[in-house]
Amino acid sequence: MSEKIVVGLSGGVDSSVAALLLQEQGYDVECIFMKNWEDDDNEICSSADDYNDALDVCEILGLPLHSVNFSNEYWDKVFAYFLAEYKVGRTPNPDVLCNREIKFKAFLDYALQLGVSKIATGHYANVKETTSGFQLLKGIDRSKDQSYFLYMLSKIPLSKSTFPIGKLKKQEVRKLAKKAGLPIAEKKDSTGICFIGERNFRQFIERYLPEQPGDIISNEGKKVGTHNGLMYYTIGQRKGLGIGGGHGKSNLPWYVIEKIMDKNILIVCQGNDHPLLYSNIITASQLHWISGTAPDEGKQLAAKIRYRQKDKICRIEPVNGDSAIIYFDEPVFAAAPGQSVVLYDDEICLGGGIIEPYVN
Amino acid sequence: MLYFDHSATTPIHPDVQSLINELNQDIYGNPSSVHTAGRKAKYVVETARKQIANTINCDPKEIIFTGGGSESNNLVLWNMIYSDRKHVITSSIEHPAILTVLQQLEHLSITHTVVPVNNYGCVNPEDIDSAIKDDTGLITIMMANNEVGTVEPLQDIAKVAKKHDILFHSDGVQVLGKLPIDVQKLGVDMMSFSAHKFYGPKGVGALYIKEGIAMKPLIVGGSQEKSLRAGTENVGGIAGLGFAAELVTKNLRDVSHNLTALEIQFKTKFNEQNPNIIYNGFEDNHLPGLINLTISGIASDLLLIHLDNEDIAVSSGSACSAGTISPSPVLKAMGINDKQNLETIRISAGRDNTSLEVDQLVETMTRAIATIRRNAR
Repeated sequence: MSEKIVVGLSGGVDSSVAALLLQEQGYDVECIFMKNWEDDDNEICSSADDYNDALDVCEILGLPLHSVNFSNEYWDKVFAYFLAEYKVGRTPNPDVLCNREIKFKAFLDYALQLGVSKIATGHYANVKETTSGFQLLKGIDRSKDQSYFLYMLSKIPLSKSTFPIGKLKKQEVRKLAKKAGLPIAEKKDSTGICFIGERNFRQFIERYLPEQPGDIISNEGKKVGTHNGLMYYTIGQRKGLGIGGGHGKSNLPWYVIEKIMDKNILIVCQGNDHPLLYSNIITASQLHWISGTAPDEGKQLAAKIRYRQKDKICRIEPVNGDSAIIYFDEPVFAAAPGQSVVLYDDEICLGGGIIEPYVN
Repeated sequence: MLYFDHSATTPIHPDVQSLINELNQDIYGNPSSVHTAGRKAKYVVETARKQIANTINCDPKEIIFTGGGSESNNLVLWNMIYSDRKHVITSSIEHPAILTVLQQLEHLSITHTVVPVNNYGCVNPEDIDSAIKDDTGLITIMMANNEVGTVEPLQDIAKVAKKHDILFHSDGVQVLGKLPIDVQKLGVDMMSFSAHKFYGPKGVGALYIKEGIAMKPLIVGGSQEKSLRAGTENVGGIAGLGFAAELVTKNLRDVSHNLTALEIQFKTKFNEQNPNIIYNGFEDNHLPGLINLTISGIASDLLLIHLDNEDIAVSSGSACSAGTISPSPVLKAMGINDKQNLETIRISAGRDNTSLEVDQLVETMTRAIATIRRNAR
């Protein structure tokens, strides 16, 4: 009998092709659709359309499909943290936590109880077994590489995971889906945060964190507008500030540079090349190393401080425990506290941490 | 395939299917037409009406055909908008086709009281009595629950309703084909049925409305079904419902006995190999062949996947449109905590299940439980 593997199938093109490839490789593939969010405004499952797409794919490929509901786990382990971070004015990334707590923990455990030894997902990343353990590598399609979202994983979940599309480019994935007659071949990539979906972010977050208007002040100390609540803004944000003309020296757009929580003030500056938006140094907390050990101090590494950003050359200096200072060769734009900084040695994702406000 | 999910739906009886196939070919007239083709179709519909009326002991005039059990329930409840008395009494374990409708009706100033059930899922008629208000116009209590199979004391509730001159409706969808139904004895004024629960086709149902009760349609248009359900009749489906009702009542006693025997066999053999199983529902009075059980430490969705992979169909909780399982409100209403709720499955046997199949079910379930326990971290 062929080896059995469980694929996390979302109804999108990436996970569908992951299932397809494993089937072609001769695995006994079982697909599981994960539901991680219950809409609280009505009883209707918002994921029903995606489930129907997953069902289509499985019927065409002749694969079994089952569903599992992790919305309780998601709420406790991901969303509660997400809200708590927003409340204190930070910009959390729920996807990195979702991978650590849900997809590569709750879901993995679940799959193991189904009697399989491995799971697969449609991430653009790769796993490599070396003499020193399992490594996480970038996806071959560098413009789609999702190792950024997987940096919180450890060797053990990685050893039980495979990413079948990690060696493909997005275009090739779509082509394979089309060739197999999968109707989702041209389905739009999902954007934004999964549980908010295509909804307006402000309207969503307002349900949990009510508005708290305050002043918008320029870096030169002048009031230039009113904000609706600091949690709705992120460092480096340009859109949605609502600062009209007539303010400032130039017609250049305004950017968020700082949130002063105790005074409920949003500080902005003008122009995307303003020095206050850039920094050569950031601090990171909650550092996690996939291999279990930190890289040698002073070693030249590369870092991303947001998804799909080009790697920036850096060096890290451990501070204490799981914190470090990261020095960049060239200044980086708008490091937002709460977001993740992910560290690389060429194509190997070493791990990363959470960006903290830098105090000079 | 081992099919043990007859409370969800039943496979259509082959004789019923042949009848429908034949009728759809040959009897294509519109029952409202006055020519021969129309008359023939009309005759088919009226024959079915007699068949279902015989089954539940009412006059054929007291039956109207609908698009299913949910529609029958909706028709009854939406008629409250024409009633002078705009308060409804129901129970906490009703089907969503009752409870969700009542929530919707709140927007139209129709209020309702939900009476609780005990740990066995039984409604107490005294609770209904004390929930009655001056403007109570309807009591609706299901005859038997779809998840745990508990049979409700309809006769006693009917007495309460009669005493206060309140209309009494019951959702009988789960019962037809498993226990005898006599609407006169039960004392109900209205009762809903659905063909696919008793080996008939999907998408067709019936509503018993006691003579003398005035109602208005939900689907308005032509004068079909005494102007209570507009639209050209689903002739084949209606004939299928009538014939299925007749077939299922013919040997009801034997079928019930057989279902009870399978149920006892399951419980005895399963308990031998799996200690500490909790059976939910009312042992003394429940639908034969319906087993609702909690297996501590075994997530029901996981067990369901194992069984599905072995081609065995059982069910659990309330499924949403994305195929996932949430805690069942029925079990919650019976005081079962969320953890146990999600460790609960329902096995519902039907007329085709055999003793050998029950043995296979026990064996496969026991094996799946062992696998899950072994791989749990």
